Amino acid sequence: MTNQQKPAHPVVDELLERSIRDIDIPPRPQIIDRIRHEMHRDEPNMFVVGRLISRDVSLAAGLIKTANSPYFGFSLRVRSVNEALMMLGLDAASRAIAAISLHKAFPNSAHYERFWHTSAEIAALSGWLAQHLAVPCVRADDAYTFGLFRDCGIVILLRRFGTYRDILMRANRDGERLFTAHELDALPTHHAVVGSLLAQNWWLPEIISQAIRSHHDPEMLDRFDSGLPLASRRLIAIAQTAERLVQQATGGSQTREWDKLGPSCLRLLDLDDETLAGLVEPAAELIKRID
Amino acid sequence: MSNHKFAVDPITGFLNRGGSLSLARRVIGAVNAKDQPLALLWLDLDRFHKVNASFGHRGGDRIIAHVATLIRGLVPVTAHCMRMGSDEFVILLPGTSLGEARALGQQLAQALEQPLELDGMMIHPTASIGLAQHAAGESLHAFFERADRAMLDAKRQGGNRLVVSGSETFRGRHGVQLAREELAVESDLHLALETGGLSLDFQPVLTFDGRIEAVEGLMRCRVHDRLLAPGRFIPVAEKTGLIVRLGEWSLLQGTRFAARLCHAGRPTKVAINVSRAQLTSPTFLPALHGALICANVDPALIELELTESLVMDESEIVQQNLRRARETGVGLAIDDFGTGYSSLSCLKDLPATKLKLDRSFVQVLPDDRRAYAVVRAMSRLARELGMVMVAEGVETPEQLAALHDAEVEAIQGFIWARPMNEEALLGWLEQRNTP
Repeated sequence: MTNQQKPAHPVVDELLERSIRDIDIPPRPQIIDRIRHEMHRDEPNMFVVGRLISRDVSLAAGLIKTANSPYFGFSLRVRSVNEALMMLGLDAASRAIAAISLHKAFPNSAHYERFWHTSAEIAALSGWLAQHLAVPCVRADDAYTFGLFRDCGIVILLRRFGTYRDILMRANRDGERLFTAHELDALPTHHAVVGSLLAQNWWLPEIISQAIRSHHDPEMLDRFDSGLPLASRRLIAIAQTAERLVQQATGGSQTREWDKLGPSCLRLLDLDDETLAGLVEPAAELIKRID
Repeated sequence: MSNHKFAVDPITGFLNRGGSLSLARRVIGAVNAKDQPLALLWLDLDRFHKVNASFGHRGGDRIIAHVATLIRGLVPVTAHCMRMGSDEFVILLPGTSLGEARALGQQLAQALEQPLELDGMMIHPTASIGLAQHAAGESLHAFFERADRAMLDAKRQGGNRLVVSGSETFRGRHGVQLAREELAVESDLHLALETGGLSLDFQPVLTFDGRIEAVEGLMRCRVHDRLLAPGRFIPVAEKTGLIVRLGEWSLLQGTRFAARLCHAGRPTKVAINVSRAQLTSPTFLPALHGALICANVDPALIELELTESLVMDESEIVQQNLRRARETGVGLAIDDFGTGYSSLSCLKDLPATKLKLDRSFVQVLPDDRRAYAVVRAMSRLARELGMVMVAEGVETPEQLAALHDAEVEAIQGFIWARPMNEEALLGWLEQRNTP
């Protein structure tokens, strides 16, 4: 550290001990910039974008798979990148590509396979819930993208701080204190802020990056004048409900966030406990199909 | 109310815009003939586009119908109510004095404050209200425009208030245009945040011995191939609170660029501007640390630039955030120094590492000897306090020579380097190293 001042937080030391080239927030995939560039033109050319995507086989396959996901509800089956682009539109396609690229952006993510697996389940269930419950002002693909990106800050912090796994365990077990308060006990930041920075850097919609930032905060969920858009609050409620369903259907994702956020989520989605219980079985079916 | 015979808006039952103007023309004729007073309230719901965005148009329509019911319940029977646009209402009040109309406007504002339930959420619509009294011989157009202008002024002051025409700060047609433009800039900023329209340019700060002291990140905003000048979008971002999001975006981009410079073998300090709204936000420190962690950069390579008045703010949150930011190891630079009200006693306690002398001192050099004396003394003071002194806005060789004489340590200005994008700056650095 070139500065003489002693850092206030021991983790700052830990941070600086690592090699400068070690870890970075995953850079925005170039393809997103290319699509944005095309979208800014007076007459965007889908075929130019299609050619760019087709150069990366896994991206192309991922996009076709996304367009054929049940929550988009297209009656036709998409067979090519160009067809997927035509069906989704450039905006939704750009988000889908961000989602596909997210997993790829963490090269050592094999360690966190279970984490990604649960995120994928929550994302798919979120997309399904948004459509099934016809949640006003929420697009199914936004709900899917939010579900996937919601906790991406966790992966960044896990890779950075050796102690983060223990912090997560403590936060997961607590049914009263804010999840992020546990992180702030030991770290100078928390995964919601870090995830929101990544989302902003990847040009995800503001309602998504704002939702990521506040997804553990019951006050932001409840108060209309909290400054958090209603669409963001509903995204949080959908993903939290999806997580609850994953817990009930598979026993996975052992957090106690539902104790803190559940009532607000039900109110935002106009659900009661009985209706929620009725969703467990179709959710379990859907998860089986994903797996 | 005599609303029949004219085109009626189906949601509110009020006259629509087309019907309103022809009726208003006749009302003006009638009050002129009877020598009666005539007042006009122009009411516009605040941030209605957000309600529409959150609840959809059906939700928006329900709010409009609710506001119409409130208006109908409060206005006298002689009033003419009109819906001028999606969220704009005009209430024409023949036989009503300015004082009575003001009282009615205030009653309306209070009634609107009662929360309204929509989709299970309690919402609190507020309105900006403009009030004008008709002057003898005034045209319909001028009368409506005065009320509209007063409403826009109420909005400019933060909304949820009533402004009486004549007391507004906007003057003439240009003023109305200006307020409308601000709303357009706000929507452009939202678009830029989501579609990749933001970028940072970097301007080098160089010492007289040729060292690169730092590069300052300057935000650029491009929407639909138009470049918005910072002078236009920064004030709007500050007014709407968007500055916090833009500021966090800058923090991450600035720290990432500092990391990129390190990776390129050219470790250079990157200065990032921080606004008051950011510094007073409870998430300032987590966001600063988040950016440092995401970029994985030595905090000593980051410098936060704050205005003099912000650094001098004695509120606990500002001082605590400044102290804690400094404790992370980032530098603190005071921008536009010399234009605020810094006292020397404050200066000695400041956690700042750099003073950036305001360009107004530089522009009058070398002719203004008193300015020169101040610059020279300040530069010595900065050195004694362990701070770096930078002169901003240096454009001529004469200014440069005077600043060198005054022993100013570093220079930022077109004379040595203009702001450049990341790639151009990397190229510029490369070139400087090439013999």
